[in-house]
Amino acid sequence: MSAPQDQAICRSLAPDGAMLTITATRRPRAGRADVKCAVPGAPGVAERMQQVVRLARHTEPRFDSRDQVVLSLDRAPGAGERDWELAAVLADRMVRGVFQSGQGVVANGWSDAWHLGRIDGRMLARPPAGVLAGGADGLPHLGALGGQPDPGAGISSARAWFPMHSGGDQDGLGWVEVSVRPLARAGQDDDETISAPDLDAVRQAQIRAVLGGARHFDGRGQGQWRTTVRFGEPRFSGDSYQFALVMADRMARGREFVARGRVIATGSSLAWHAGKVEAAEALAAKCALIAREAGAGDRVLLPKDWEAALPQGLREQLRARGASLACVERIGII
Amino acid sequence: MLGSLFKDTLKDALRGTLRGSVMGSMMGPLRQPEFDAARLGVTAIALPAPNGLTIPAPCAAVLVDRGGRSRRLAAGARIAALEGETAWCVHPGPYACDLVPFAGAPEIGLRVHVAIDASDPRATHQRFDLFLASEAGGAVELDGFAELAQNALQRELAQGNLALPPCTTLEEWNAFRSGFNQLMYTRFGVTVDDCVPVDLGAARDYAATLDARLAAQADAIDLAAAPDAALPASAPQLAFVPACEDARALRRLFLELPCLMCAVRMAVLPADQERFRQHQDLLRRLDLVSLSVGTMPALELAAPGQPLAPQEQLRRARHSRRAAAALDEAWALLARLKIAGEGPLDCLFDEADRIVANLESESQARRQTHAPEAEEAGA
Repeated sequence: MSAPQDQAICRSLAPDGAMLTITATRRPRAGRADVKCAVPGAPGVAERMQQVVRLARHTEPRFDSRDQVVLSLDRAPGAGERDWELAAVLADRMVRGVFQSGQGVVANGWSDAWHLGRIDGRMLARPPAGVLAGGADGLPHLGALGGQPDPGAGISSARAWFPMHSGGDQDGLGWVEVSVRPLARAGQDDDETISAPDLDAVRQAQIRAVLGGARHFDGRGQGQWRTTVRFGEPRFSGDSYQFALVMADRMARGREFVARGRVIATGSSLAWHAGKVEAAEALAAKCALIAREAGAGDRVLLPKDWEAALPQGLREQLRARGASLACVERIGII
Repeated sequence: MLGSLFKDTLKDALRGTLRGSVMGSMMGPLRQPEFDAARLGVTAIALPAPNGLTIPAPCAAVLVDRGGRSRRLAAGARIAALEGETAWCVHPGPYACDLVPFAGAPEIGLRVHVAIDASDPRATHQRFDLFLASEAGGAVELDGFAELAQNALQRELAQGNLALPPCTTLEEWNAFRSGFNQLMYTRFGVTVDDCVPVDLGAARDYAATLDARLAAQADAIDLAAAPDAALPASAPQLAFVPACEDARALRRLFLELPCLMCAVRMAVLPADQERFRQHQDLLRRLDLVSLSVGTMPALELAAPGQPLAPQEQLRRARHSRRAAAALDEAWALLARLKIAGEGPLDCLFDEADRIVANLESESQARRQTHAPEAEEAGA
């Protein structure tokens, strides 16, 4: 959590292709309602917005009665349109510093269970790139913004991030998502319990080897789970995604402590069966990238071999942002 | 006029607290379960003790009167409760329990060994005795206590006040341990002897949990498809009984706020004038909350002789419960204040401001006879 600003803007894409803009303003409460909503010409929508925001706040651990948040929508949405709900929730979180995001956020999603943090779906059929799309194939619940598994869902999925570095302006953090469901329920066709549908055969074999090794080291997780692995950007080269993959798998299986923000990890290994984390390439570039991208609550995990060569001030810089860094020799506790 | 009103409401509040304690121990003297010393130190931490009992060897007795004042008797003495006193027999332990620090990660836990110390001669009140007086209705079972401790731990971790991140390093673990030890001592009055991470995979299989959850979801869909099917007898839901919840929460606030204030006063030694003012202001506001709790109107009355609608009673009880949750946060903050140096004090005072503001707004809302929303719709 960092210093919240006094105004935040979040947009949502209407079905006609235009933008709906939600502006959130924070001011001292002074005995007024905690949330106030204004929608020109549609008091019903404003009422629903207040309800949505209040319900979504139940998923936050920290309650603050000192501020009032005023949310206003620039124009009335079409009848029955509900995709603005996610944008309203995010605007409310951004203005209080609970959720941080770089530039303009565009979000579409609706839910009947905001109090559980679940996002049921969206009306927008094919969201353009860059839109936060709620629903099972995008953002299934609010905790997924930080990669955490949904504590109420029957299928557990977790994300971890890793720096993707090629020297171009495409550099950034990529994510890997591991979803697990109990094998007993998945049926009998257990030819391959770990699948990664977007990837080529070589990479799939590599992922199976990595997860197999790490689960062997863990002592559990073999023969228990049907696993699906997804990448945000399936085309990449190098092995440094492996550590992030292993961490996402451990989080999804409920065997790792939980970070408050995202887990950002880089590192590969030839000995996952022994739990060892070994160095990856491009130390300086990746550290610079991580220093740029990490936010409050994020957990940065780097190989132990890098510890001596870390750039000066990286630790302090991360701590100032509210993130923490650890250099890891072996996965698991301490 | 005002004076008598005051006295009446105070009496009400006291009656509320009294009722809480009676409800807690539920059974009258006739149906009181046999005092079973064998359970003490194994599955139970404290058991209500009958009058005249000779306190068995490692245990001690805690006697609490109606106003929450407590005294202790050492082993070997006979319990002779005065009028209005309730007696517990407390085994000092040690006790072992497994806590799950994150609800989302059920297979990794902490094995914690706690003990209840002999009374601290420097303290004006013993925290564990206060815990008995305000929260233990009857017996304190080890399982129930572990659940309370786990909730306190999970909330501190979720708020980021304690940190237990993935691949915790040794320094981070030590910082966590000191924070956790202080939290347990400040919140419950127990000392943590040992705390190690454990693999709970064998006992709490996550795959089996998810399997059951998926089965329940499938059942729910089947039920929705065939609405006239019989409802499943399973899925026990904890009912929210406004009168009980409200009495319990108000009792806690009534007994604990004065002790909390006392502890907050001791915990900070103001370095300069500015800090002194901040500290004084905080104590003054806590005092007003405490006064507000002490004079809280009865749950079921809108005005003398005028019953309040059940819906509004439910709303009032919810506010009481949220005020009690803020009280929990205040104890956790006190633990952080105790081990903090001069450095993070600004941040901690801001947290204190937030928590006291929450206490103020919840206790204010508890006093209202209707939701304040309606009248300020146009504001």
